[in-house]
Amino acid sequence: MHTVWVRLNAVVFFGLTVLLGLSCLAAISKIGHSYSNQPVIHTLEVRDLKSLKSHGGVDRALFSFDLHADFAPTFHWNIKQIFVYVIASYETEQKKVNKVVVHDKIIEATNPDKVLNYKGTFVKYALVDQGDDLRGKDITLQLLWDHMPITGLLYMGEQPLSEASTFTLPEEYQ
Amino acid sequence: MIKDMIDKQVLELKKLWANKRQLLFQLLNLAMIVFSALMIWKGLMFLTKSESPVVVVLSGSMEPAFQRGDILFLNNAVEQVGVGDVVVFKIKDRDIPIVHRILKVHEDENGKVELLTKGDNNRVDDRGLYAPGQLWLEREDILGKAVGTLRYVGMVTIALNDYPVLKYVLVGMMGLFVLTSKEG
Repeated sequence: MHTVWVRLNAVVFFGLTVLLGLSCLAAISKIGHSYSNQPVIHTLEVRDLKSLKSHGGVDRALFSFDLHADFAPTFHWNIKQIFVYVIASYETEQKKVNKVVVHDKIIEATNPDKVLNYKGTFVKYALVDQGDDLRGKDITLQLLWDHMPITGLLYMGEQPLSEASTFTLPEEYQ
Repeated sequence: MIKDMIDKQVLELKKLWANKRQLLFQLLNLAMIVFSALMIWKGLMFLTKSESPVVVVLSGSMEPAFQRGDILFLNNAVEQVGVGDVVVFKIKDRDIPIVHRILKVHEDENGKVELLTKGDNNRVDDRGLYAPGQLWLEREDILGKAVGTLRYVGMVTIALNDYPVLKYVLVGMMGLFVLTSKEG
């Protein structure tokens, strides 16, 4: 039967199939892109410790940091944005792994300037412990980034731990 | 013209009713489509170990990464979720799951994690969204980690939810087509 309905149904269904197929092709077109296209990270290190205080039983550290990194290589045609974030990781007696985001920044593909250049920038989120265990701890700062596609797969990237910088918080509150 | 088409469909249905063998065949056809869809859904649930492997983004709290109407594919077969991952979680006694990013991870020796989340587009973390008195999420609260995205498709779901009548119209029409189309 070749009624209008059957034809409409066929056209819509075929259109959707083509769109889905194109989306899948777009998703797989850039698999492996991150192997040869890493951002260039010049510096990521702490500059100044502003304070280390106890707020109602939990320790809170505030500091400023330097970051210079070029994210232009990570972009390709199926990337909508790169979510860049700095994590502070440390170890305490109670908790083996502590990873806290202290700063984040979204670089959109439409933004022509894909270089992050911070000098003595204050952290966006304070480094807050679950308990009162921050004094005298070694804190590692590491840069990570999340590739957010227009359509397709999400994948992460991170600065090698061997290149991450470490600083030590003071033994006393200040 | 519309009336003409409806008349034609009614005529087809009447013919179908008269021919019981054909009716049975078409009904089986319909059942096969329904069960295939169910099988794909359950298969995805099995592979991803997630109770809802595909979710629709309902709010703008993750903009510009995800907009209302985008769909996300989830994977819950990962051992541990990490800081910075986009995850979908559910708060006890609340129906609608939330898509946000992990801001903090604290893990003890036994591998028990406590997580704090935040929406990219929100100014504060999610403590206010959690159950009263709840400070941290645990691994069990996570429905899955977002591994892929497809844009706009979820708009259909949102439309169907906003206008329930549309649901019946659409399902009814699809059923009718399957029943009356001869080349099955």
